[in-house]
Amino acid sequence: MTPKDFWHSSNIAVIGGGSWGTVLAHLLSSNCRSVRIWLRDEDQVRQFNSTRIQNRYAPQVQLDQKVVATSSMVSALEGTVNAIFWVLPSSACRLRARELAPLMRGDEIVLHATKGIEGGSLKRISQILVEELPTRRVGVVSGPNLASEIARGEPAATVVASEFAEVCQAGEILLRGPQFLVSTHSDLVGVEWAGTLKNILAIAAGALDGLGLGWNSRAMLITLGLNEMVRFGKAMGADVQTFLGLAGMGDLLATCGGPASRNYRVGFRLAQGEPLQKIVAELGSTAEGVGTAEHVWQFASARGISMPITESVYRLTRLDGSAQDFVKDLIRRW
Amino acid sequence: MGDIEKAKQTAGVTVRQKRFRLRRVPSVAGPLTLFQSIRPRILQQVVDRTVENFAGVSLDVLLGEALYAERLRLRGMRWNLFTRSRVQRDQKLWKQVQSGLLQPAAEVDRKDLLKTVVDHYAQEVGGFFDPAVYEIATHAVPWGFSWMLNAASVRRFLPWGMTESLQSRIRILGEIQALQKLSERGTILLVPTHQSNLDSLLVGYVIYLMSLPPFAYGAGLNLFSNPVLSFFMSRLGAYTVDRNKQNSIYRQTLKNYSTRILKEGIHSIFFPGGGRSRSGAIESHLKLGLLGTGLEAQIEGMIEGRAKSKVFIVPMVVSYHYVLEAGSLIENYLGEAGKHRFIQGVDESWQLGKVVGFLWKLFAAQSSVTVRVGRALDIFGNFVDEDGRSIGSNGLFIEPDRWLTSLGELRKDSQRDHEYTRELGQRIADRFHKENTVLTSHLVAFSYFELLRARYPDFDLFRFLRLSLAQRTLPWGDFLEAADRDRARLIQLAQKGELHLSEEIESSLDVRVWVRDGIRQLGLYHDAKVIKVSERTIWTEDMNLLYYYRNRLSGYGLSRLVELSGRKNQFGQNDSQGFLA
Repeated sequence: MTPKDFWHSSNIAVIGGGSWGTVLAHLLSSNCRSVRIWLRDEDQVRQFNSTRIQNRYAPQVQLDQKVVATSSMVSALEGTVNAIFWVLPSSACRLRARELAPLMRGDEIVLHATKGIEGGSLKRISQILVEELPTRRVGVVSGPNLASEIARGEPAATVVASEFAEVCQAGEILLRGPQFLVSTHSDLVGVEWAGTLKNILAIAAGALDGLGLGWNSRAMLITLGLNEMVRFGKAMGADVQTFLGLAGMGDLLATCGGPASRNYRVGFRLAQGEPLQKIVAELGSTAEGVGTAEHVWQFASARGISMPITESVYRLTRLDGSAQDFVKDLIRRW
Repeated sequence: MGDIEKAKQTAGVTVRQKRFRLRRVPSVAGPLTLFQSIRPRILQQVVDRTVENFAGVSLDVLLGEALYAERLRLRGMRWNLFTRSRVQRDQKLWKQVQSGLLQPAAEVDRKDLLKTVVDHYAQEVGGFFDPAVYEIATHAVPWGFSWMLNAASVRRFLPWGMTESLQSRIRILGEIQALQKLSERGTILLVPTHQSNLDSLLVGYVIYLMSLPPFAYGAGLNLFSNPVLSFFMSRLGAYTVDRNKQNSIYRQTLKNYSTRILKEGIHSIFFPGGGRSRSGAIESHLKLGLLGTGLEAQIEGMIEGRAKSKVFIVPMVVSYHYVLEAGSLIENYLGEAGKHRFIQGVDESWQLGKVVGFLWKLFAAQSSVTVRVGRALDIFGNFVDEDGRSIGSNGLFIEPDRWLTSLGELRKDSQRDHEYTRELGQRIADRFHKENTVLTSHLVAFSYFELLRARYPDFDLFRFLRLSLAQRTLPWGDFLEAADRDRARLIQLAQKGELHLSEEIESSLDVRVWVRDGIRQLGLYHDAKVIKVSERTIWTEDMNLLYYYRNRLSGYGLSRLVELSGRKNQFGQNDSQGFLA
């Protein structure tokens, strides 16, 4: 059996039904036998199964019959699941993984699409999954993928990275669509860190726009921000080249570009003087960049890695100063 | 079977006692005992498999590369009376290959040529096992040693000297029972740390003391240049590993041989660090080539449906108060680091006088070697329990066959397997550090070195190592204080499970007691005294040796100087400029 045949007749579980999880399930449904998507909320599950629409996060996507929602991990993993797509916020990662672990057999492939890290330990999502799940074949899906645009069927590209070639291959076969390109990469560390770190810069970019600043300052932010990402990534063992690709520069440009990104929206509204609690409450979903900025800054400052933008963003989110101070702070640190 | 069981039981008791009387442990039969009868068949299979591995490769290029590398090796080779015939055989073979390659492929079949080369290598690699010699060796070694011991002890006026034996000089700690149990449930791949050429003998003897059946060895070819050793080793299941043969035909043959005997259920030993640790530190970078054969053997065994197809990796850490070859090893290390004039000393370790002297001191000096059997791992680096079940990091059992299933089928996948092996290597290196038993001498060397180093923070390592005698003399009181502090830090690490401490360090509350012990034991055998003390001062006669023994505690992030400069306490990350933090 060729890998293509195998994966085209496989069963997939998608854990997490936010906007990106729903869109991933949609992309997957044209390349496999069945998709089960796990949602936390039972009302949403009922609604989803009757309408094939995830009303709350991705109302514009009409899903295929193959996609069935469930609120129980047990039934999400029932039968022979060959691959698991992990699309939960980083804060829920470890606990949910512990729930999932006893239900797995060990030959599943796990791909996660979470752009965040665990606070304190600064562990990447793949590290947490390897620690908690009975498998080592873990990878990441990352890149300039604003869920709403892909839901509309616009062309886009993503990166699947794993130390295991078979994981990359599975991701490529399962996600590839007429408008969706998949490239594979072996630098798991780099791809994960690139996706994580760009969220901090997205907040900064939003803040600059919120203050009404123009293209010069944004270009400055993106370029210097990329440098900062590379510096940190290298310290964490990533390959510099990775940051120049889709998962690094590509993702950075997409997220810093406008309000389609949640992190950008957080920055924008912070700059306009709204308090963080209110923004996060109204956002309805997680903005990973807020936590990431704090954890990364604490880690970097303890080890003497220079991260001026991250530090400014951290101060902005903690409201140590006003938004005006953010820019001053930023300029001073550069 | 009954005898073996009984032997196991008594051995279980004996090894846990600290000192015991001279008594012979009965030797235990195992798959290796019958090796001689299956040897020709195994070697034939190795040859066939190796030739098969190179299907589709341009044999002209392959043989050409090997020829080039081998001629270079042979040209630079120094041979002696005992290795001469081997060199001549090699030369003959490569002449044959050369003349073969010069003729067109239609006249000289390249595949036949490859087969000749592989066959030559397989014969060289493949060991023998002679049960009679094993019986003699296990008798002779302890009796020979105990004779020496008695003579040495009398010199020291020990009233009980007559009954002490080599066994009491070797402390075996750790997961002995688990190892004994696992050896019946699968194939053991024992991976010891490697500091000295004595390791091969010591580990073999420890295996015998634990009442395990004989293990096959991957032993460096250089050990076979001594005729007496060569006689014993080659008949005790050792197979030769020649690190100088850097061509893919040789490597593949060696790997296939190792895979084949593991699959046969023959327990094996190899030193995953490659050679001896030259810096004195515990190995952080392991060679993955041979390590991967464990995984390969297990998959093949599982696919063929063999019983007991599991391979268990058992790390073993050997701690010496002194290493015979320390001087030349550390010179070699510093030389390679580039900033030191590289003067290669003669590797003194196998001169007969030195070995005898070493053993004499071992007994006479009331010294000991500590060996810790580590927790067993599966071929992915997960822990296994005594029943051989793999336990994942989340505490749940893991089914290895699932981890080896790809695209719905149990199969080999070279990229996947390489990745598993890489992780295994990292975990073994981690276990090496955690299973290490710190001896008093290690801690003394470390404390003194670090205290001295802190006085010259601006010196680079090489300048530091050339301090004058006056510069390297420290007040005794300062040293005691530092040593006591360092002990406290080690106790913290030990409580976290990062390392083990010897009984002397753990139990003696008075710093003077264990420090005296450490100073007495440290590098006892060297001509220069590594640490000397007078009433008020402490100094060293050999900075390089001090550095060597101090390095035993590198890789734990203990060095104060290095802690300041960031994230360097990860294994293997600390050597590019840190010189073993």
